[in-house]
Amino acid sequence: MIKTRRRAEGKASVAGGTAYTFRLFVAGNESNSTQARENLARLCEKHLKGRYRIDIVDVLKDATSAFKYRVLLTPLLIMIKPRPEASVLGNLSDTKKVLATLRLTGDAQ
Amino acid sequence: MATRTRRAEHKDVAGQQKQRKGIPKVPTGIGGLDEVLRGGLPAGRLTLLSGGAGSGKSLMGLQSLLHSAAAGEPGILVLFEERAAAVRQNARSLGWDLAALEQKRLICLMEAGVSPELVISGDFSITGLLAILDHHIKVMGARRIVIDAVDTLLYLYDSPVRERQELFALHEWLLDRGLTAIMTVKTIQQDESPSRYAFLDFMADCVIHVDQRVTVQIATRRLRVIKYRGSGYGRNEYPFIIGENGINVIPITSNVLQHSPPGPKVSSGQAQLDGILDGGYKRGTSVLIVGTAGSGKTTLACMFAQAACLRGERVLYINFEESPESMVSNMVSPGVLLAPMIKAGRLIVQSYLPESMGVEEHLFLALKALDTIHPQHVVVDAISACKRMGSEHAAFDYLMRVLNACKERGITCFYLVQATGLDVVAEISGIGISSIIDAVVLLRQHPIGDTITRQLIVLKSRGSRHSEQYHEFRITDRGIVLVQASPVDTMSRSASLPGHGRN
Repeated sequence: MIKTRRRAEGKASVAGGTAYTFRLFVAGNESNSTQARENLARLCEKHLKGRYRIDIVDVLKDATSAFKYRVLLTPLLIMIKPRPEASVLGNLSDTKKVLATLRLTGDAQ
Repeated sequence: MATRTRRAEHKDVAGQQKQRKGIPKVPTGIGGLDEVLRGGLPAGRLTLLSGGAGSGKSLMGLQSLLHSAAAGEPGILVLFEERAAAVRQNARSLGWDLAALEQKRLICLMEAGVSPELVISGDFSITGLLAILDHHIKVMGARRIVIDAVDTLLYLYDSPVRERQELFALHEWLLDRGLTAIMTVKTIQQDESPSRYAFLDFMADCVIHVDQRVTVQIATRRLRVIKYRGSGYGRNEYPFIIGENGINVIPITSNVLQHSPPGPKVSSGQAQLDGILDGGYKRGTSVLIVGTAGSGKTTLACMFAQAACLRGERVLYINFEESPESMVSNMVSPGVLLAPMIKAGRLIVQSYLPESMGVEEHLFLALKALDTIHPQHVVVDAISACKRMGSEHAAFDYLMRVLNACKERGITCFYLVQATGLDVVAEISGIGISSIIDAVVLLRQHPIGDTITRQLIVLKSRGSRHSEQYHEFRITDRGIVLVQASPVDTMSRSASLPGHGRN
């Protein structure tokens, strides 16, 4: 249902329970959204290289998904895996806060 | 030259016509509010509803949306604070089937609450919300939108600049879509909120403020229109109630000076008193019956009611002192039989405890009774109890409005006043309504030897002759009976209360 664009860097083929799956809801090319995309990519490359996957959902193109997941504010990052889900609102500029919310502060490499 | 003038004239006429026609409006369907707003909300524009917690603003938004949905115009309700289930339940308790309207795609509830635990990192926007709304508008063809508790969203931003930018974006979006919108905003502290959300007032085309205040333990609700671009509106503060059918605003439309002239005479229900009053009271006027406790006020009013009912007229008796049952049984002893009148549906007794509700609720019930029962006469027993509705001011409000409503409808209005002291005339003046009262009958009792002597005098009877003497009377098993026949020769014309020194 969700039209996603997979990032080449985060190979979806990574097997096992260690994989991180993120869903990032953006609003077209709004500056906040663009920043969030960049910040998330950088953060993942640094801390989760080879172990993550990012699905991007553009609410301007896919309002149904936005409604389904009640995404009213953008950009919104949801960590689908590992459980439990965690989410962060905003352009993800505060790296420390984002890492803490995604439980990546301690064991991050 | 001539052409130009003609064109200018034409333009003028067009301008006048436009002005006369006014801006397009959409009725809210809320009783009384459309009257205050001279037709309704500005179509395709934003209306701001502000007020404290529990002031009724959300309900007002919901009610207007339900009204338009019932009329076939679809609308969206965005909830930033409440859950959809709670709103459905609220609607049900007021007699609306929200779920049915939802099924017909006439109303769409959208929960937009943001979890307080949501982690915020950096800037964000409401684009997601607008995208979802756009989707719904397209699907259901929505023309109306109510955005409830928009302040909850704004609190997520820690910068006033961003708050403002997002609200402007939202406003632009609303205007682009041509939606008739209501936005509700909580005002928390009277001194802080206006500065925080003052720009909202500038942005909106219509601003309505609602509040709930408590005076002497009784809550009253008020509504005031702060501004309305391109339209006239009622500029007062209007009381409103949340009743069984939702919100009802009580507009002050009556103008004391536009009352129809008083009608012909109507019997007081006591032949001798009719003699004193030169034929009786005047129909459609206001009569004050004043006296201390046990002086016979209720008996006099009930005799009038009985006579009216026997003539086939209807009387509404608003009783703040006793229940209909006790009133009926108490009137048996002076020979006034009310039970058959009640049974025949000609005498309608409504008993209320003054402190059981706020003044607007009392007012609403009274006005509703006037419009459903269509009585020829109204008795309020006793207006001295009205202070217990909250304050002197509340009592005055109630009495003025009821009196005005009666005068507008040509209803004779009897106010019974329980006097406490000796200076009765001063007491009457103290209520502040004496100047608009047409006739005053004073009952007094004083001990002479071992017995109590009761006396009656007509202090005032506008536009009519009346006796100026005290008349002794007794309360017998045939009602009030004057001891001596009224001496008609002492009649005089009187237009005002006699001097204060006399009681």
